[in-house]
Amino acid sequence: MSLIKEPLPGVVVDGDQAENLSLWIIHMTGAEGTLYEGEHFQLQFKFSPKYPFDSPEVTFIGPNIPVHPHVYSNGHICLSILTEDWSPALSVQTVCLSIVSMLSSCKEKKRPPDNSFYVKTCNKNPKKTKWWYHGKICVTSYLCIIDY
Amino acid sequence: MFECNICLDTAKDAVVSMCGHLFCWPCLHQWLETRPNRQLCPVCKAAIGKDKVIPLYGRGSSQQEDPRNKVPPRPAGHRTEPENTTGFPGFGFGEGGFHMSFGIGAFPFGFLTSTFTHPDQRTSQATRGVLHHEDEFISKIFLYVAISFILWLLIA
Repeated sequence: MSLIKEPLPGVVVDGDQAENLSLWIIHMTGAEGTLYEGEHFQLQFKFSPKYPFDSPEVTFIGPNIPVHPHVYSNGHICLSILTEDWSPALSVQTVCLSIVSMLSSCKEKKRPPDNSFYVKTCNKNPKKTKWWYHGKICVTSYLCIIDY
Repeated sequence: MFECNICLDTAKDAVVSMCGHLFCWPCLHQWLETRPNRQLCPVCKAAIGKDKVIPLYGRGSSQQEDPRNKVPPRPAGHRTEPENTTGFPGFGFGEGGFHMSFGIGAFPFGFLTSTFTHPDQRTSQATRGVLHHEDEFISKIFLYVAISFILWLLIA
C-alpha cells in the first residue's frame, strides 16, 4: 500500500493481484546512470503465513534476469536481508529499494562465479540455501552451500 | 503517527524500545520469540529485550484489557524503590559456605568409584576373548588393592 502512496522511481506493483495476497509481482526498471539503465525486470514476492516475522521469498522471474555478481541465472538473489538479516519492519518497498541499490552499485555485469553449479543443484526455494555473507552482501558467493 | 513498526496499525498495548521505536507488545513479543538468541530492534537493529522495553500508558488506560492467551502481559514499568533492604546480603553469604563444604566431602567417593569400576567393565567386555583368565587375574588384583585401600582409609 505504501508502495502506491510513495512509489519508488522505476518500481510498479502489478495492478491486478488483489485475489492473491501471498504472491506479488513487482515490475522494476534499472536506475538511471547505472549499468542497468532502461532494463526491465520482474520480481516475485512469496509471502508465508508467518509474514512479517518470516521473510518473503524474493526472486527475479521473467525473460530478463539481471546479470549481477549476486544474482543467479535462475533468479535467486544473494542478499542478507532476505534471510538472516530480515526484520519485520522491512516492507516490499524497502526490499525493492535494497535490490535497486544492489543493482545500482554494480561495476561489472557478470554472474556469480559458481552460477552453473548452484543453478543445477539448488533448491527451488532460495531461503533453503545456506548463504555465506560477507558484510551486507555475499562477496564469497562460491562458498554458498546448499542446505537440505 | 503512533503506528506499530511491525503490523503498521495503531499500536495496541504499546511499548517503546530504548532506541525509541514503537511496537504493539504482541507484535514485538512474537518477533523476540522468533529469534530468541539474536534479539534486535526491527527498525534500527539495536540490542533489544523484554526487560529493555517501556510500556506506554495513555490517559484512561487503567482498565486492563483482556489478557491474551498466547502473549504474556506487557512487562511492567520500572519504578525504583527508595528503600534499601539490608538482610539479604548476609543470608546469601551463609548459603555459599554450605555449598563449598558439601563439595569437598563428596570428592573422595567420586574418585574411588571412577578408578575402580573401569577394570570390571573391561573384563565383562573381554570374557569371550583369549585373554580371559589373565584379565580375571588382573581384575582380582585390582579388587584386592581396592579393598586394602578402603580398609586402610577406614583404619587411618
